[in-house]
Amino acid sequence: MSARRPGLRTAVDIGGTFTDLVLYDDATGGVKFEKALSTPRALADAILQCLAKAEAAPAAIAHLVHGSTVAINAVIQRKGALTALVTTAGFEDVHEIGRANRPDTFNLFFEKPAPLVPATRRFGVVERVGPSGEVRTPLSEASLKRVIMQLKRASAEAVAICLLHSYANPAHEAAAKQAIEAALPGVYVTASHEILREYREYERGSTTVLNAFVGPEVNRYLTDLGGRLKAGGFSGVFHLMQSNGGVMSAERARQVPVAMMESGPAGGIIGAAALGRVLGHADVIAFDMGGTTAKTCLVERGLPKMTEQYFIGGYRDGFPLRLPVVDIVEVGAGGGSIAWIDAGGALKVGPQSAGAEPGPACYGRGGAAPTVTDVNLLLGRLNPRRFFGGEFDLDTGAAEGAVARIGQPLQLGPVEAAAGILTLADARMSFAVRAITLQRGYDPRDFAMVAFGGAGPLHAAAIARELSIPTVIIPPQPGHFSALGMLLTDLRHDHVLTRVTDFARLTADELGAWFQPLEEAGRAALAAEAHDQANVLLLRSLDMRYAGQEYTVTVPVGERLDGPAAMGELRRRFDAVYEQRYGHAGADDPAEIVNLRLTCLGAVGKPDFAQLRDKRIAAPAADRRPVYFAAAGGFVDSPVQQRAGLQPGAHVAGPAVIEEYASTTILHPGDRATVEPNGCLVLEIGAG
Amino acid sequence: MSLERPNDPVTAEVVRHALIALAEEMTINLARTAHSTIVYEVQDFATGILDAQARLVAQAPGGLPLFVGDLDAAVKDGLALFGADGFQPGDVVLTNHTGTCGQHLNNIVVYTPAFHEGRLIGFPVTRAHWPDVGGKLAGGFLTDAVSSFEEGIQFRSLKIYKAGQPDAELLRLIRHNVRLPEISFGDLRAQIAACRLAERRLAELHRKYGGARVEAAVAASWDHAERIVRQALGNYREGSYQAESFLDDDGVDLGRPIRIHARVTIADRAMTVDFTGMNAQVRGPINSGMAAGISAARLALKYLCAPELPPNEGCFRPLQVILPPGTLISAEEPAAMSWWQTPILTVIDTVLKAVSEAAPERIPAAHYSDISCMLLTGRDARSGRAFTNIEPTAGGWGARPHGDGPSATYTIGHGDTFNIPVEVLETRFPLHVERYGLRRDSGGPGRWRGGLGLERIYRMAGNGLFNGLSERSVCPPWGLAGGAAGRSGEIVLARVGHRPRRYHKVTGLGLKAGDLFTFRTGGGGGYGDPLEREPERVRLDVAQGHVSRRQARQAYGVVLRRNGEVDAEATAALRAARQAALAGGG
Repeated sequence: MSARRPGLRTAVDIGGTFTDLVLYDDATGGVKFEKALSTPRALADAILQCLAKAEAAPAAIAHLVHGSTVAINAVIQRKGALTALVTTAGFEDVHEIGRANRPDTFNLFFEKPAPLVPATRRFGVVERVGPSGEVRTPLSEASLKRVIMQLKRASAEAVAICLLHSYANPAHEAAAKQAIEAALPGVYVTASHEILREYREYERGSTTVLNAFVGPEVNRYLTDLGGRLKAGGFSGVFHLMQSNGGVMSAERARQVPVAMMESGPAGGIIGAAALGRVLGHADVIAFDMGGTTAKTCLVERGLPKMTEQYFIGGYRDGFPLRLPVVDIVEVGAGGGSIAWIDAGGALKVGPQSAGAEPGPACYGRGGAAPTVTDVNLLLGRLNPRRFFGGEFDLDTGAAEGAVARIGQPLQLGPVEAAAGILTLADARMSFAVRAITLQRGYDPRDFAMVAFGGAGPLHAAAIARELSIPTVIIPPQPGHFSALGMLLTDLRHDHVLTRVTDFARLTADELGAWFQPLEEAGRAALAAEAHDQANVLLLRSLDMRYAGQEYTVTVPVGERLDGPAAMGELRRRFDAVYEQRYGHAGADDPAEIVNLRLTCLGAVGKPDFAQLRDKRIAAPAADRRPVYFAAAGGFVDSPVQQRAGLQPGAHVAGPAVIEEYASTTILHPGDRATVEPNGCLVLEIGAG
Repeated sequence: MSLERPNDPVTAEVVRHALIALAEEMTINLARTAHSTIVYEVQDFATGILDAQARLVAQAPGGLPLFVGDLDAAVKDGLALFGADGFQPGDVVLTNHTGTCGQHLNNIVVYTPAFHEGRLIGFPVTRAHWPDVGGKLAGGFLTDAVSSFEEGIQFRSLKIYKAGQPDAELLRLIRHNVRLPEISFGDLRAQIAACRLAERRLAELHRKYGGARVEAAVAASWDHAERIVRQALGNYREGSYQAESFLDDDGVDLGRPIRIHARVTIADRAMTVDFTGMNAQVRGPINSGMAAGISAARLALKYLCAPELPPNEGCFRPLQVILPPGTLISAEEPAAMSWWQTPILTVIDTVLKAVSEAAPERIPAAHYSDISCMLLTGRDARSGRAFTNIEPTAGGWGARPHGDGPSATYTIGHGDTFNIPVEVLETRFPLHVERYGLRRDSGGPGRWRGGLGLERIYRMAGNGLFNGLSERSVCPPWGLAGGAAGRSGEIVLARVGHRPRRYHKVTGLGLKAGDLFTFRTGGGGGYGDPLEREPERVRLDVAQGHVSRRQARQAYGVVLRRNGEVDAEATAALRAARQAALAGGG
């Protein structure tokens, strides 16, 4: 760990509806949570409000981690900068053509998303580089001058530059950037090689365009927020959350704002990994269920699984962003998900959600559709008088009416219909967990599940049971866990370089030399963030495949890379990774490497989960109520405990309900919960 | 609780979901591990689960739409040959027989029987495009074959594993009849692995829910799909409608157009597609067999009635297909089928055209309907290795009743199919791409404009043998409701020292370093009268380079000033004159 400045560690996560704040005090191990409504027009206001509510003076904060939707909102609402794109002449339309695929396969009226940069702002410069970096046509100064004129005439506020094969030789791109920046002061300019050096011009170009599109807005935002924090006396370390589960400095964020696009869900996953480690589970399934969706991600040996690409705005209609992101599988099943009957008469749950307004029928705000929350209430799993700590009562009658209406055409009574909807919701979420485990060659029995989000603890035990996951961990304040997770991140930068090569022809020395510039770039990025070089961890890996294949798997490269033995070991590791993933391998088939990947981690001081202390209250007397359990064939009279009253070391045997502010944990008959010293509940599924 | 009854709606939904997830899992395994890129990038594969009687239980999304609803034919042949009790656990059956599958020989079906407690419970099936199956041209895709014997080796329902034991002799026979055995056997391994995985998952499902409940759930999912399709058919006016269209020729008897005809009858929430008027089977390699012809009608029904529904047996119950043997799409052995997909695309569009009379608001104008494919083989001087590039090109889609057609998107027979990026192409093959862009003026003019085709110019960086196929020049992609046709595709070859020449079909032409070839693909048809297109939209089309000033004036009657703005007065006058001329001319 780098030097720890004593004081407050704070994370602020701006979501669509709420801004969440968590404060951790190094001295006491105490944690404090606050919430404020997000203020879309002035995001910084909500942060300052939250700090004020928590009575935390900016001057007392040693470390502030911030996750923000400012970048992604600019894209979703298409309110980014007026962006122009400079390409190799003859390839201006690649941005509009895309990959020519049709994800919405059987829809005669499918829509191709309109490009972020229309043809009128796409300009070609005469130049050409080949796949080995060789210059086929030198960069034409005259055409560059013409492009600069066109950029001026188009009044571009931001410019993305993506030239063919610039990953292999960025000289033309760098020269073009320099000339454009010099000619257009104040315009935000991004060149593709600065963001990723990987082949596939459409995806690299799209990533570059996204960066330029959000660049000016993110810069304004950071200037505003930085100024106001400073005015309030803040002089600590300020970090921004990235989609890859790491953090970066504000300076870096100004250059690569696209890296913070999907930072929201990453915090919880990082938190789950850290919590698992503390409790002795390096392999964890993170499960986050909120109001509209459930998200799940696999953590192997303490590291969340990553994916190299995702789509801003969804796969069907979105734009590819080719930067590593925490690999989350999401299904439209949350507390607000609506149960409905389709045109063929089948019962379905989600992905439509009742949202916060009108909300589930039981909120009594005019919602008529039955939701997962209504079902949980009807089945005794939620307390009608303790919702959000009793802030408002739930209307059981309204829930029953809504569920009964949907059960009628299926000849199901209200309880049967409710039980059916619960089964379907649990099944949908189980399929998501299957998708990240069994479908990728992992056995869920080898994992512990960390369940969070407001609704996670309600459903976790059933999903764990379905997939034979032996252990479920419920952190304290599950509804705030994503913000807490942000305090547990390290500085992280990912670098990639495409070098398509026969594996058999490659020596360890060559490979080591190819990694060299990546390592230098990584260390330089961390140094620029004033990071202590002693706490740097470099993780090398290779994207590999069998000759002839398109898809690759990522193979970790060991610490030592010397001699033929190291190459033999790499080859064996590739076959093993492949075998695990797909159930077969071709040890005798020729292999290729496609990309070199480097992850640079700069360790950051962070709270110690083991030292975390949750507030306790005197144990109130246990309540009882009937709760529906499918395995028991109906309602079972079950004890109801208040979580804050459970002392470390306490055991609770299922069937039971454990309630807390904004969340409820269900223990099925045969499950057992233990309270850890740091306040976590550890559920042993089917332990007796 | 009565949720225990065998046909309860909740269990049915959970099992239905589990079966689709199972087919998806097969896809993930197969598509990502296949050794030939065409399987992954072009999605030239299919996976599914059939029941013990070869009825479709679930088919994975992904894969070519062309393969929707034709996996049953392969297994039915096996059932007929081996008998219902002729399978043992561990068997693996392989087939590419044209008489059974009705497709080119590269499409290899591999399936296995799945058992639970000694009882046959179904068949996991995979189809993948192998890069080579022998024959006179590496890679297949002959443009001049006149029988399947020239196209490669046929395997009809071969048990390459018997009770878990590989048949070494059969495998040896296969190995020495294909040009790239390592790649093909890599694909075979992936196909078997996907089937084995599905066997295990299917047995788990039976263990968990019991055979009766699984079967009840499957039956319920068929009924459910049938209800949805019949309900959707209610959106189409009852009646009998017909449409025809033409292909240029079969590549062998050049210049002899081929008639595509469909009569569609919609009555009582059922649809009959009658292909009796279809051209007889031809000499050239564009035939397909009965299974493919039926699949074309099924695919059209799916586009019309059940776009969201994962395909299963029930989807197709409301469909009757009348298809006499011996037509272009029900050809009999030994018909050549290298380019079987090309006509199927136009067949589907023609069925849709017939239905447009029943529901004009629901059918877009024709799309480019062509594979526009190159097949380039040679030896790469950089690596010394032989290479084959099979690359279809995207084109324009038809305009809709309320919007322009999408540009540069693969055909109705493709789905989530990807183009080959320029940077990947140049890394892998001795080719330089000189231009890749939208093709101006290719979209059919209309009140709503058809989508644009593409132009891709390549320069040879070494020597190679070139085959190319471009279709629909005689009958370009039609417009609807007064919209004009989109422009047809073409291939232009500019060899060093020769004048550029335009082609539609090219067979086995030797190209040398420096030679240029250009693929231009067709645009979609327009919808509605082009003179009614808002002038502002035409201005924008011109500004973006999608439409030339010349086409703006000639097709749309829109006059632009020098600065690009619409000259409203001149436009109104020109349009009035055009309309008067049309009215006067009758």
